[in-house]
Amino acid sequence: MSERSGVIHDLGYRRYDGPRDGTATIARTLYVTGLRHTYGLGRSGKSKILPFILLAMATLPAAIVVGVVVLTGLGSLPVTYADYTNQVQLVISLFAAAQAPVLFSRDLRHRSIVLYLARPLSSSVFAVTRWLSLTTSLLFFMWVPTFLLFAGALLAGLDKSDQLEGLLKAVVLQLLLAALVAGVTGLISSVSLRRGFAVVGSVVALIVVSGVVTSVQAITNAQDADGIGVAAGLLSPWSIFSGLADAWHAGVVTFTPPGSAWALAYVLVAVVLTALCVLGLVARFRKVGSR
Amino acid sequence: MAGVTGELTGLLPTNQSVITTAGLTKHYGSVHALTDLTVDVGPGVTGLVGANGAGKSTLIKILLGLLEPTSGSASVLGHDIEHASQEIRRLVGYMPEHDCLPPDVSASDFVVHMARMSGLGAAPARERAADVLRHVGLDEERYRPMGGYSTGMKQRAKLAQALVHDPHLVFLDEPTNGLDPAARTDMLRLVQRIGSDFGIAVLVTSHLLGELEQVSNHVIVLDGGRLLRSSATTDFLRRTGNLLVEVVGTETERDRLGEALAQRGLTCRPRGSMVAVDPPPPELAEAGAVHDVIRDVTAELGLGLMRLEPDHGHLEDVFLEGGAHV
Ligand SMILES: Nc1ncnc2c1ncn2[C@@H]1O[C@H](COP(=O)(O)OP(=O)(O)OP(=O)(O)O)[C@@H](O)[C@H]1O
Ligand SMILES: [Mg+2]
Repeated sequence: MSERSGVIHDLGYRRYDGPRDGTATIARTLYVTGLRHTYGLGRSGKSKILPFILLAMATLPAAIVVGVVVLTGLGSLPVTYADYTNQVQLVISLFAAAQAPVLFSRDLRHRSIVLYLARPLSSSVFAVTRWLSLTTSLLFFMWVPTFLLFAGALLAGLDKSDQLEGLLKAVVLQLLLAALVAGVTGLISSVSLRRGFAVVGSVVALIVVSGVVTSVQAITNAQDADGIGVAAGLLSPWSIFSGLADAWHAGVVTFTPPGSAWALAYVLVAVVLTALCVLGLVARFRKVGSR
Repeated sequence: MAGVTGELTGLLPTNQSVITTAGLTKHYGSVHALTDLTVDVGPGVTGLVGANGAGKSTLIKILLGLLEPTSGSASVLGHDIEHASQEIRRLVGYMPEHDCLPPDVSASDFVVHMARMSGLGAAPARERAADVLRHVGLDEERYRPMGGYSTGMKQRAKLAQALVHDPHLVFLDEPTNGLDPAARTDMLRLVQRIGSDFGIAVLVTSHLLGELEQVSNHVIVLDGGRLLRSSATTDFLRRTGNLLVEVVGTETERDRLGEALAQRGLTCRPRGSMVAVDPPPPELAEAGAVHDVIRDVTAELGLGLMRLEPDHGHLEDVFLEGGAHV
């Protein structure tokens, strides 16, 4: 008995001979932790405030719409799923701008990246995992109101196959959008390590550029020079999203909808731009990690 | 426990090298951070000594796979750095020289997270983090955000994350950096325990030979990216076991003494206000013989002997001596 308690209170070093996870499991742990951190979960109470206020702002209109549709028995939703995302783009952009630094600036600024890269995950797996966390976080942010609307539509007894089609289109477009926005805001945050600069940079890239593009599209449309407006649409994630939604009849109306060839170009640009951002992130993490 | 020890010795037989490098070279443009480094590091504590910019951190980063060497090869725990760097990073721990702790996280949360990033499950990660934080002496403070830590506490937290996954080898890059004398002694004692009690091989860097010779079994000295010397600490002390002599007066008296000692067959050189006397030639090797010669010579010259003591080993000796030999 005394022997055992002696062992329990032994202050000597104990070796660890239990199981060790492989790279895939470690990456999954990092992914889940990163996803939680974008909502302040597992962090200080203070860091939960902003993401949840923004989520509430992005969801409240959907809740009102659902209430109206269910109570008044409207024959259709006043807004399509894709258009809803387009309408609350300001809030989504703010969420991305504010939370990307959590995943892409902190480790670089405080140099804890070195501690990660001295462990099994490589810089490429690390960067891709971080990007996946932010992409998922953005998808979740858009899907909460989207699926709330869908539930409301079903509750109000609207045609299920119509609703499903609209929902499916929205989900695919949101996937493309989330991947691109996560790449762009991630790269900006990994370069400008001061949180303020990162947020401003992302706001410019998402909100300001999008506003400029929309103005250009409105002007070129009025001047019968739609081609320029369509091409300008390639410059912002939001105009790519709305242009594609318009071309795909997902219920978004733009000044200069792309034709089918241009729509393909929109998709290609979105994919290539996302890939370039992820490659840029890998290079950035590798460089800082070796210092 | 016996099984663990068995496994460990299976992995690291005492006669096998923990680290070997062959012709390892790293150039940053015209800066030659490491040049043709060929060394062998065994189990226990190995000190890596060199002045600022000697290439210590560069060597560690190459061994971890964070930097690619310009040429040459190396293996760590039997794994080649070029082909099995991920396997290496599974088995080693790393304490960087610079700050690397997020200020808004507690040491406890951070070390648990780092354990998970090394592949430990949630429960063992918590258990080991608590254990290791206790070993490094961060008990009470570990639930506070690390931003408020003193340098000493930060160094302990950095050490804890390097040990939490029970590595077979740890790289400690200047663990005593910024510590006051008491904290320095504590840290050095801890380093020694890691090598002996914990059974983890240690490669620890410093620019002070004096502090590493207390805790290392073996010392490697780098100078400007080149290997100056690699030998067991005992050899090291014997070979640097010079004598320091100081006499009353100015440089004139110092030089008169030096010249007179040289005429008696001793190799001397000035160091500050003192004369450093190399280990004696064979005919004076008998215990006390050199002391007698020095006393005689000072008396003959009519100089006042202020100090005659063994040299405690300063890095500059090694450099001077190495420069003379190489
Ligand atoms: N990224 C880099 N680009 C250019 N030169 C570098 C780079 N990193 C290190 N060096 C140079 O390589 C040399 C070795 O640097 P290293 O950091 O390995 O030295 P050290 O022995 O760790 O020095 P310290 O005691 O200051 O930590 C130095 O001359 C340094 O200036
Ligand atoms: Mg260094």
